[in-house]
Amino acid sequence: MTVLRKLRHDWILYIMLAPPLAYFVIFHLIPIFGMRLAFQDYRIVGDNVWVGFKHFDVLFSSPAFFTVIKNTLIISTMKMVFGFPVPIILAILVNEVANRFYRKYVQSIIYLPHFLSWVVIAGIWIGLLNPSEGAINLISNIFGASSIDYMTSKDHIRWVFVVSEIWRSAGWDSIIYLAAIMKISPGLYEAAKIDGANRLQSMLYITLPQLYGTIVTVFILNLGFFMSAGFDQVFNMMNDSVISVVDILDTYVYRIGIVNGQFAYSTAASLFKGVIGIFLILGTHFTSKKVTGNGLW
Amino acid sequence: MKKLDISKIVIYLILFLFSLAVLIPILNLLAISLTDASKAHLMNGLDIIPKQFSLATYQVLLNNPLITGGILNSVWITVAGTVLNLVLTSLAAYVVARNNFYGKGAVVIFLIIIMVFEPGLIPEYLLVKELNLLNTYTALILYKGVNVYYLFIMMRYFQDVPEELLEAAKIDGAGHLRLYAQIMIPLSKAGLATLGLFYGVFHWNEYFRSMIYITAQEKWTLQVVLRQFVIRQDNTTIMGGYENMFGGQMLDFASLQAGTIIIAIVPLLLLYPFILKYYTKGTMEGGVKD
Repeated sequence: MTVLRKLRHDWILYIMLAPPLAYFVIFHLIPIFGMRLAFQDYRIVGDNVWVGFKHFDVLFSSPAFFTVIKNTLIISTMKMVFGFPVPIILAILVNEVANRFYRKYVQSIIYLPHFLSWVVIAGIWIGLLNPSEGAINLISNIFGASSIDYMTSKDHIRWVFVVSEIWRSAGWDSIIYLAAIMKISPGLYEAAKIDGANRLQSMLYITLPQLYGTIVTVFILNLGFFMSAGFDQVFNMMNDSVISVVDILDTYVYRIGIVNGQFAYSTAASLFKGVIGIFLILGTHFTSKKVTGNGLW
Repeated sequence: MKKLDISKIVIYLILFLFSLAVLIPILNLLAISLTDASKAHLMNGLDIIPKQFSLATYQVLLNNPLITGGILNSVWITVAGTVLNLVLTSLAAYVVARNNFYGKGAVVIFLIIIMVFEPGLIPEYLLVKELNLLNTYTALILYKGVNVYYLFIMMRYFQDVPEELLEAAKIDGAGHLRLYAQIMIPLSKAGLATLGLFYGVFHWNEYFRSMIYITAQEKWTLQVVLRQFVIRQDNTTIMGGYENMFGGQMLDFASLQAGTIIIAIVPLLLLYPFILKYYTKGTMEGGVKD
């Protein structure tokens, strides 16, 4: 069949594909090409002017940009180190719960925060951390500690991000590990039991190693978001007293771009972020494939 | 006597504490919002039972034009956005689920490129501005019109429809449009429910584009109102003109803020049983590699 006849044979399929395709072209492809603004000066009237790497030169010599990069890396690393293991542990624990009702109760509660918007979560956490009436300070008062205004403390605010991120995501993120655990052959556990393994031993020596592949995959996926550091969270939980330690790339892009109207300069910053992100994900994918045989594809 | 299983107790306890950490803050907000304004100052962060029950907070909130407007705007954007999402996604998913048509490979590669490369904030904003969509709901209804990841999930639901059914319909003379509308869609209700929840939750919770695309206050969505009131602590904009009193009732801003958060959560709680049923299954099937 010639190409034309093939096209004519399934013409209705192409008509059906047209609306979603048009959507992608207009609202996805055009703004992707719009990223060329990073190499231009923005003009309200008339065409933009090409300026080469001018904005990147300014960016890389600006101390503000380095603070922002530093904050992004620190916050992401903290979340990775302390947050990443929690869903794995939760999944292994939930899997040990034999009582059907208790298991269902735990699952339905710990998944819930994932469905709340970051505005709601920030509202909840600002309340939780209130120095006078917040639950967390009330509890630490019981143990004799004095109240801390966590939200405005430069020493604490990043930890607030780590803990509230775990509060929101750890439960839901455990689902993918739980699904992987369900696929482990029950025979492995029975064999271990016959050999006299206790609960902790089968968790450590059977469940955890069987999760290895899933852990690597999720880790790579998370690294792809490393340069984001959780914009919605930071944006809703930051305030002027702590901005110097929490301002990240995405909040910076928003502020200089949308608030200050430096469209081109801000696009340069977000293009930088995008490129690093792609290198990160490709880099970890190939390293992990080489080392463990597991990658994203 | 059977030996007490310590490890089991520890596991049950850890999970119980985690569940309390989620439940208590939400129950606390509910209790604060249901406490009479005169007793509101007696409520602390660990109280989960109202001190003196009163619905006054919700009476005030549901008479506030920014709150009621916000609810209506959010409902409209969520419903219209989700319907549009489902139409666009299922159309594309139907086509991609077909085995042999000219250009399928190119379409799939295009979709993967779309999935990997995200446009930046500024070019997107400038596009919306150039299309004259600033301050319109259209901009928000169209935002994230098709999620490629969800498209592939929908494709899998379509592929589960038995091939014999399609063949039988084709012999009866049905074309692609009829196969799509009369066989695929009715037989993939679970898939549509899953995607509907994915998209619906997304639209309801969206606040950032709503905030930068919509500047006119009367057009704000509930999340933007919530942000202004609770995060930015802007009592004047939200409750301005009431002067701490409403219709002879005393006002307590902490209660009003708590009530606004609860209002923003209620639709999610109502849908939560379905979310647990469909959303969880969809995520497990989509996320696990075989």
